[in-house]
Amino acid sequence: MANSGDHTNNSGPRVLRPLTDLGSRAAASTLRPFGGVLNAAAGAGMTLERRAVDRVLSSDELERVLTAAIDSIQVQAALINALSSDAAKRIIDGLFDSGLIDRFLERLLASDALWHMIDEIAASPAVTAAISQQGLGFAGQTADEVRDRSRKADDWVERTARRLIHRQPRPLPIGPDPSM
Amino acid sequence: MISLPGSAAGATPAVTAPEAGVPYPGLVTRAISFAMDAVIINLVAIIVGVGAGLILSLLHHLPSVVKAILAAIGTVAYILWLVGYFVVFWSTTGQTPGARVMQIKVETLDGDPIKPKRALIRWVGVLLASLPLFLGFLPVLYDEKRRAFQDRFAGTVVINAPAMSMVEARRARKREQYLAAKRPPPGETGA
Repeated sequence: MANSGDHTNNSGPRVLRPLTDLGSRAAASTLRPFGGVLNAAAGAGMTLERRAVDRVLSSDELERVLTAAIDSIQVQAALINALSSDAAKRIIDGLFDSGLIDRFLERLLASDALWHMIDEIAASPAVTAAISQQGLGFAGQTADEVRDRSRKADDWVERTARRLIHRQPRPLPIGPDPSM
Repeated sequence: MISLPGSAAGATPAVTAPEAGVPYPGLVTRAISFAMDAVIINLVAIIVGVGAGLILSLLHHLPSVVKAILAAIGTVAYILWLVGYFVVFWSTTGQTPGARVMQIKVETLDGDPIKPKRALIRWVGVLLASLPLFLGFLPVLYDEKRRAFQDRFAGTVVINAPAMSMVEARRARKREQYLAAKRPPPGETGA
């Protein structure tokens, strides 16, 4: 059935092909200016769309809407519900069961950059100072106490010694300020 | 707080010392510092001496001359260690370990770090001050800058040197920058 139809259709165009080609060429040449117009219109539309998107992204209104959405109690409640749902737990379980985290950690530990970063942090003055402070905490407290008492004893011994020889208490000298 | 000169009453003081009291440590503080140094020096000397004695105990039949020479070498080494300890610490950081713990420091009268030669002179001064039952330390009680014999002998002074934390150091730097910015440029003395 199809073959007979095809045969009928094939026999027709063979006769009419010059006419159809002529018609196609005529239609194409007629529609060519419209194609240019349509392309220009499409380009203009895309430009407009880009401008609109840029304007929306750079607008304060978008920021306000996003801030309002994040601050919204409903959104926060929905997020909390989503995070505390069984589905979220299953996703997390699946993530760990898949071995993706293990793989990530393996790669991370094998990375030179990570150890370089750790070395940098460990050698930073802030960290070394913190470790030193922590390690010498007790000794430091004891030394502080000894210093405090020894300074008081200095003054007491000096006052007593000056009193013994009937000498005026020492005036406060103006000397170098070691903290400066 | 000690208000330094330039701070009028009622006005914001130009600079204030962070610690109450005088900026020079007294007799007790210096004695504790000295005692700590003595502990360190003798502890090291005892450890080294015991080690050397143990090694020498393996050699049973040493002639008495050799023993005398070894004793002389040990004495010289101890004196060198004793002198070197103070001279090196005073001429490098200005603080021996004992002084570091007590947060005191030796410097010249101008506030400069002392050089090895001056440190050696000061050590001789310490020796001379200690010989008459430490009487050379008594001037600390009466001197305006709490200087002992060895300080006068070597032209040095011992000051308090509180260790600053990183935050305090940063704060001090910022305060200095602030004061430097507020200070009028030279030549501009005001209306």
